[in-house]
Amino acid sequence: MSGIVSYGYYIPSFRITIKEIADMWNKKALSIQKSLNMHEKAVSGIDEDSLTMAYESACHALLDVKIKRSKIKALFFGTESPSYAVNPSSTILGDLLGLDNNYLAYDTQFACKAATGAIISSIGLLKSNMAEYVLVCASDKATAKPHDALEYTAASGSVTLLLGKTDIILEIVDFESFSTDTPDFWRREGIRYPSHGGRFTGKPSYFYHIEKSTQSLLKKQKLHPEDFKHAVFHMPNGKYPIQIAQSLGFKKSQIEKSLIVSYLGNSYTASSLMGLMSVLETACEGDLIFLASYGSGAGSDAFVLKVTKNLKKRRKDFKSKLKDKKYINYTTYLKYMNAV
Amino acid sequence: MISPIKLWRRQKEIKDKLGKKGKILTWTVIHISPTAFIKQVPYCVILVEFENGNQAVGQLVNYEKKDMRIGKRVIGILRKLKEVGKEDVIIYGLKFKLI
Amino acid sequence: MNSIIGYYTTCFGELWDKSLFDLVKESIQGVFKSACIEKRQIDAVFFGNMLAGILENNLHSSSKIAEILKVNIPVFRVESACASGSIAFHLANQYLNSKSGKTVLVIGAEKMTDYPVQEITNALLGALSGEEQAAGLTFPGAYAMMAKAYMKKYGYGEKSLAYVSFKNHFHGSLNKQAHFQKKVTIRNILESPYIADPLKIFDCSPISDGACSLILTSDKSLIKKAKHSVSVLSCETATDTISLKKRKKIYELESTKIAADKAFKKAKLKRKDINVAEVHDCFSIAEILAMEDLGFWKKGKGGKLITYGLTMLGSNSKPIVNTSGGLKSAGHPVGATGVKQIGEIFLQLTNQAQNRQVKNLKYGLAHNIGGSGGTAVVTILGKKS
Repeated sequence: MSGIVSYGYYIPSFRITIKEIADMWNKKALSIQKSLNMHEKAVSGIDEDSLTMAYESACHALLDVKIKRSKIKALFFGTESPSYAVNPSSTILGDLLGLDNNYLAYDTQFACKAATGAIISSIGLLKSNMAEYVLVCASDKATAKPHDALEYTAASGSVTLLLGKTDIILEIVDFESFSTDTPDFWRREGIRYPSHGGRFTGKPSYFYHIEKSTQSLLKKQKLHPEDFKHAVFHMPNGKYPIQIAQSLGFKKSQIEKSLIVSYLGNSYTASSLMGLMSVLETACEGDLIFLASYGSGAGSDAFVLKVTKNLKKRRKDFKSKLKDKKYINYTTYLKYMNAV
Repeated sequence: MISPIKLWRRQKEIKDKLGKKGKILTWTVIHISPTAFIKQVPYCVILVEFENGNQAVGQLVNYEKKDMRIGKRVIGILRKLKEVGKEDVIIYGLKFKLI
Repeated sequence: MNSIIGYYTTCFGELWDKSLFDLVKESIQGVFKSACIEKRQIDAVFFGNMLAGILENNLHSSSKIAEILKVNIPVFRVESACASGSIAFHLANQYLNSKSGKTVLVIGAEKMTDYPVQEITNALLGALSGEEQAAGLTFPGAYAMMAKAYMKKYGYGEKSLAYVSFKNHFHGSLNKQAHFQKKVTIRNILESPYIADPLKIFDCSPISDGACSLILTSDKSLIKKAKHSVSVLSCETATDTISLKKRKKIYELESTKIAADKAFKKAKLKRKDINVAEVHDCFSIAEILAMEDLGFWKKGKGGKLITYGLTMLGSNSKPIVNTSGGLKSAGHPVGATGVKQIGEIFLQLTNQAQNRQVKNLKYGLAHNIGGSGGTAVVTILGKKS
């Protein structure tokens, strides 16, 4: 049995409201809020990036586990806002965490599913006994072109999962991955902001891939949406996850707890995993949780997760941690995003 | 550009200060800064004494005016220290936040 | 005992027309004239300067000075941040004591205004430790931290600091060579913008250009012949950690205390013997701490005593402090300051201080600090007997 032994997350304390951004561009804030089903997003400070946030979430994950760092045999860092175009963040993180140098490290990119893909690779290492523990970090300081639609949703955040086979709190029962070549969202080398295909990012991209991976996995496992207590889908905004849940046969009540995008925004690689962080705050032993990520370009990783008896004693607060927030204005936002 | 090798040596030294708690011995708020810190102005720099007696100097992040008091408790965190050139190695280092 | 027999200072300020070595040349020509000395009588030159290497890529200034003077004598360049000038003087004094020569020229000079404030701020960071620099601490920031700790410990506010600048600007208004020759009010000072809390623009010495030279000699016949001469009773140096965090007490400069004790012991004098003093006021807090660490005031009393105006011209107390206007008003061309301070005491003891003159003088003291207290030099001079 392999799965999540411990988890950690980091949400920066700054927030900018949809209204603040809309007012800047003379757009109707209320209608944008409604269409996105969001009212604000998390913003990281001028001195933060995907690495500093990953360090925070990784420390949070390792806080209450007493394992020798030398037993972590792999560290995968999934991001689409790496500090360097060429230079691993995984080893900077590994060094700071005090891993002993005998481990496999690499950075992965696949838009918003960079980290969930690495979870699947980790399971391979665990099941084959090639590693006792693996750290998977998802971290993004997502950028968007000023005035672009993505500006309302692109946010910052990080989640780290410690995967292993002993004392797990969440079993990874099974997974499926669906991959195609679909140009819905991309960023060229040396170019600052990503580009996207507008409405093409909907039906043929987000919806199609999540449908495929989900249906595939449910069929394989002979499970149905009603078997799950919770469902978590990648959250590019507050509407899409509700729509995909519905079209797949999940109820709104099943995804309610995971819908953190409304007040945190889309932290890209950390998005679906952050939804999972919220769910774990109240999930009970025996609960089945369905998780499907989506990465532009495109692909989707789907997971069936089962809560074990160990979650109760290693559960971490989520909602209460969010109270520590500070609102910033648009110019400060630009400064923090290094846009000026 | 600061030599990346110098940075590499320095980064090894911050590991044992990250996550460590201490208290503010003295502080100031910098209004006129060196070039690399311009975007962060005004920022608070503090002298901290850790629980083990060692001391360190670093910026305090996310503070309010009322937080700048001698004796306030802080913890070491990882942040980017300053702006560097487009081709330079990024400088990660020790800053502090209130606890 | 060695004596100073001549002193010359250029104006301090924004001297756009003059380069570093133009200033050096002017001060050399001026001091030769003032001391009635010719270059053939000089056995060695000591040159204090901090930034020529960083700002102008000018190293090997010793050779440059040899070129200016057209000599082949030894020239020694020294750097100790803001104490460069007095360290040059200290070494010159030791050179004579070791009988390596009989008469030496001491020059202190700095050219700072060719560069924008940002670049100067960057360059001056070199006086701080690597960790302090990495944290974004600035030179004023380091003193600001000392001020905060001092103010918290002894219960003083920013008003105490303001009295230092108030006094020094008053003195500077009487000094035709000063960078700033305007009086300021306490209100001006308190309302000025912050540089590094609690230090405001009026608590900080300016960025200035300037050069000063002294002739120091052990030659008895030269001393006898000299129109003006002053005896060097002692010149002592001490150091301390470059990092603030490693200091014993952040609001106490150990280097000043040690150098002062050594200097008074060597000169066989007591604190109350000093009539006039030039004390290092790179920032207002520095003068208050210096008066305490030099032993003139008890630790912790400075914040109150400064407000009584005891050290201001016109007071019956002693010592009168910073008649030149201090670093604050006269200006602070870093490498020149140490020499200027000694020169001002020389002018006072030889009755050449014009409308800044303190009466009935016997002994004077100059106190020069490098960086945030990493180096301290205390020089005690006595009237020619």
